[in-house]
Amino acid sequence: MTSDAATATSTTHTTTPPPEGPDPDQGLPAHGLGASLPPADARAKTEGTFPYAADLWAEGLLWAAVLRSPHPHARILSIDTTAAAGMPGVRAVVTHEDIPGDGSYGRRVVDRPVFASELVRHHGEAIAAVAADHPDTARLAAAAIAVEYEVLEPVTDPEKAFAAEPLHPDGNLIRHIPLRYGDPDTVGEVIVEGLYRIGRQDPAPIGAEAGLAVPRPDGGVELYTASTDPHTDRDLAAACFGLAPERVKVVVTGVPGATGDREDPGFQIPLGLLALRTGCPVKLAATREESFLGHAHRHPTLLRYRHHADAEGRLVKVEAQILLDAGAYADSSSESLAAAVAFACGPYVVPHAFIEGWAVRTNNPPSGHVRGEGAMQVCAAYEGQMDKLAAKLGIDPVELRLRNALSTGDILPTSQTVTCPAPVAELLGALRGFPLPALPKDVPEDDWLLPGGPEGAGEPGAVRRGVGYALGMVHMLGAEGADEVSTATVRIHDGVATVICAAVETGQGFTTLARQIVQETLGVEEVHVAAVDTDQPPAGPATHGRHTWVSGGAIERAAKMVRTQLLQPLAHKFGMSTELLQIADGKITSYDGVLSTTVMEAMDGKELWATAQCRPHPTEPLDESGQGDAFVGLAFCAVRAVVDVDIELGSVRVVEMAVAQDVGRILNPSQLATRIEAGVTQGIGAALTENLRTARGLIRHPDLTGYALPTSLDAPDIHIVKLIEERDVVAPFGAKPASAVPVVTSPAAVASAVRAATGRPVNRLPIRPQAAVATPKA
Amino acid sequence: MQSVTLPASLDEAVAALGAMPAAVPVAGGTDLMSAVNKGLLRPSGLVGLGRISELRGWHYQDGHALLGAGLTHARMGRPDFAALIPALAASARAAGPPQIRNAGTLGGNIATAAPTGDALPVLAALEAELVIAGTGGSRREIPVSHLLAGREMLEPAELIGFVRVPLLHAPQVFLKATGRTGPGRATASVAIVLDPARRGVRCAVGAIAPMPLRPLEAERWIASLIDWDGERGLAPDALAAFGEYVAAACIPDQAPPDDGGEAPPLSPAVLHLRRTVAALARRALGRALS
Repeated sequence: MTSDAATATSTTHTTTPPPEGPDPDQGLPAHGLGASLPPADARAKTEGTFPYAADLWAEGLLWAAVLRSPHPHARILSIDTTAAAGMPGVRAVVTHEDIPGDGSYGRRVVDRPVFASELVRHHGEAIAAVAADHPDTARLAAAAIAVEYEVLEPVTDPEKAFAAEPLHPDGNLIRHIPLRYGDPDTVGEVIVEGLYRIGRQDPAPIGAEAGLAVPRPDGGVELYTASTDPHTDRDLAAACFGLAPERVKVVVTGVPGATGDREDPGFQIPLGLLALRTGCPVKLAATREESFLGHAHRHPTLLRYRHHADAEGRLVKVEAQILLDAGAYADSSSESLAAAVAFACGPYVVPHAFIEGWAVRTNNPPSGHVRGEGAMQVCAAYEGQMDKLAAKLGIDPVELRLRNALSTGDILPTSQTVTCPAPVAELLGALRGFPLPALPKDVPEDDWLLPGGPEGAGEPGAVRRGVGYALGMVHMLGAEGADEVSTATVRIHDGVATVICAAVETGQGFTTLARQIVQETLGVEEVHVAAVDTDQPPAGPATHGRHTWVSGGAIERAAKMVRTQLLQPLAHKFGMSTELLQIADGKITSYDGVLSTTVMEAMDGKELWATAQCRPHPTEPLDESGQGDAFVGLAFCAVRAVVDVDIELGSVRVVEMAVAQDVGRILNPSQLATRIEAGVTQGIGAALTENLRTARGLIRHPDLTGYALPTSLDAPDIHIVKLIEERDVVAPFGAKPASAVPVVTSPAAVASAVRAATGRPVNRLPIRPQAAVATPKA
Repeated sequence: MQSVTLPASLDEAVAALGAMPAAVPVAGGTDLMSAVNKGLLRPSGLVGLGRISELRGWHYQDGHALLGAGLTHARMGRPDFAALIPALAASARAAGPPQIRNAGTLGGNIATAAPTGDALPVLAALEAELVIAGTGGSRREIPVSHLLAGREMLEPAELIGFVRVPLLHAPQVFLKATGRTGPGRATASVAIVLDPARRGVRCAVGAIAPMPLRPLEAERWIASLIDWDGERGLAPDALAAFGEYVAAACIPDQAPPDDGGEAPPLSPAVLHLRRTVAALARRALGRALS
């Protein structure tokens, strides 16, 4: 652990809503930690000149197209590529027979064929790929591959997966966690039950998958792609190519949006195979439809809950059954299930908990990592239960939540003690005091924005307002014994610092943070962050906020080592330790002011390098009864949603979202606000519109008209009411990653508000209009 | 793509299509090009209609407006157009995001004939006629509903030139229900047009069937209740009954089985759609009469 993080401090930071509030950046430093440093690539991205993978070009490149299964479940009787291979302009056709190495891959469990050989298990599964000299030729040739199928009955209901014929040699049950904590015979005075369904959210990256594979003269291949986990992707691809990992290089290009795993190896491996086969560069740019068919989605989940409480509303016991639809392949389902089971009770003190969780295989589209996985689905359910309990007991829903709020030192149902800051009650309290937005009747008629949009069908007389609260939690970093490690190198020369770290900038702002860390430690203003490729040491996947913590920690250590190298000779000369010297604004001064020199002078034309690693304390897998210290750290958030519902049409407009979040320490105020706003908006999508629909395993409307993302008219005013800065002593800088927890909590808050407005149960996300209609009270 | 021609007049465009029967006409391209990009359509040639200035405006002809098929949604949404045909302007403003409205055209909306096409219920309620241009400068007229219902088709080398819409000088309303506050496809839409000269109310419901539906009996019934020479207003009960009437006509109950038993109930989703149509029709008529 870093030395400066060893002292915990507790401060709070409050922002009031603009425009009345003071400029939040007033009095903040221009660089270093705590500054609102803008991203270095902001201008290029805004102007549209920032290059993404789809913009790559190489002399003489070929275009790839992938043939995908039109059936969710079928036996492949034959694949005939003769017609396709004979088309003019076609340079190569590859199927499962042409894979030199392993035929299967998987980021966590190796269970997924690169190309289906005997069975297709989901709509859109890859069967073959073509390289041709024109994208249309490639697409036509892929369509000309004759595949004979024996169509099989798809298993699309996860409840039926248990008894169904195995869809895969590994069986249909991917993981079962029976969490047992406390006394099963305890019964509460009050019991509420509920059944909740969560839909299939798609990460819907705004840039679809794309990549360029370039063969190397040594028989290896380079993959230029927007990977968020380049080293794992390299290892998987190399195993399939039958090459040593060193002969495959993944070069990370601009990432056009990533809220889940990006650039599934299912896109990269065919690309690399075709480049190796043809000896030419090969480019693949997925269509929007292919993107929806190919990548992993959020787990559709079915949850059954029974909450026991005493007459004062204190939770006594929680019983739950959680069923995750993993789709055809395991991917990260095991990890999602662990999060769902461990956080099934939410940020509340629960003395007895019995949670059964299953992740099962079906012929539905594959599920995998999407921000807030597992935790988001259970949050919608346990918060629904808290609302139900409040209604049954006649207690104010906020008061009920405060009576049960978790805090540091409490124990989770996994028997893990919460050692990090857990200011849950304080978060909720901050929201309770925040003023509510004006009612439509109190603002000028021209400023009304009713459900249904401007000039829409909304009618003021049918609109009801609802206010709902939710609390949510997520874990940070990989769980259950995952080796979380990152390596970073810092170099300084001529007063300019460079960071080399294979942590991918996905838009989350990591490179900005890296620059701030080095500015803070070395006192130099100009810091460059090198582009990422797999020749650098691994930094792990860009998920679970791990780069803020692990890669940020590694960069800080490396920067501190450079600092020591820089100051050692001076300290020696003046007979003082390096700790007594300060670097700020390019100047080195001693504590007593006797020494004053510039960094440039001290460098004396030298070039200084240092490399360091950060590896947080280890975790352990959940045991056979769901017990264990599985998580490195936890983050909490409280959200208050205010909605307007047209109770005749069932249309919902979110008017305002107020957020209070546990952030540890604010490293970049404007970036932090952006992360929270983005997370809340993604949560609103999950609550109201985002559901990738299927019919008998076939994806319906795989386009951005059918899959409705929130637009600027759907995104409400988002007020960050309070950011609690209670430093997490084990985290570098004491900061908690901030992106995931608003995604987890917002859908539950919106559901709670719609419940308040309509009096309907609202037990399904996204909320369908027919679930939000109500009879007007006389 | 073999060729792209850009004729400057309607007759030139028709001639170009006649000379190259496999070519496809394209105006805004908002539907056509997405089908091309998806690989669903590979036209061997395109006849671009974007330079035909006679199609991009409108003129007047004995109590009617003759609207060019190349009028964009953005143009139809402007206040001068809204003063002429308010419901068509409202549907144009509701049709997708600004990028689509700037490119998409009235003629394209008719030719694509998507069930969710926002202009279509308005044109059905207005009983609009299409002026179809054919070879050698010929013109013929067909009701828009005949084309949408497939009763009459466009012949090869024919183009929708103009849409003849009556100028009714009376309130018109278009309302649509969507899944989000931002632009989206209609789950149901209703157009109401008042025709005081003929003492008629015309209503069309969009997006719930392959083509707009006209509840003719409901129209006649409600028109008979309106005091056309007086205040025109209706009691809330009458408005609500009209909404129910329209919804039941467009989304009927299931037929009872042949053995004479109970008719199977409508699914909750269909019932919700029926409630939505009823609320839209009630609100639309209420706004038209207020």
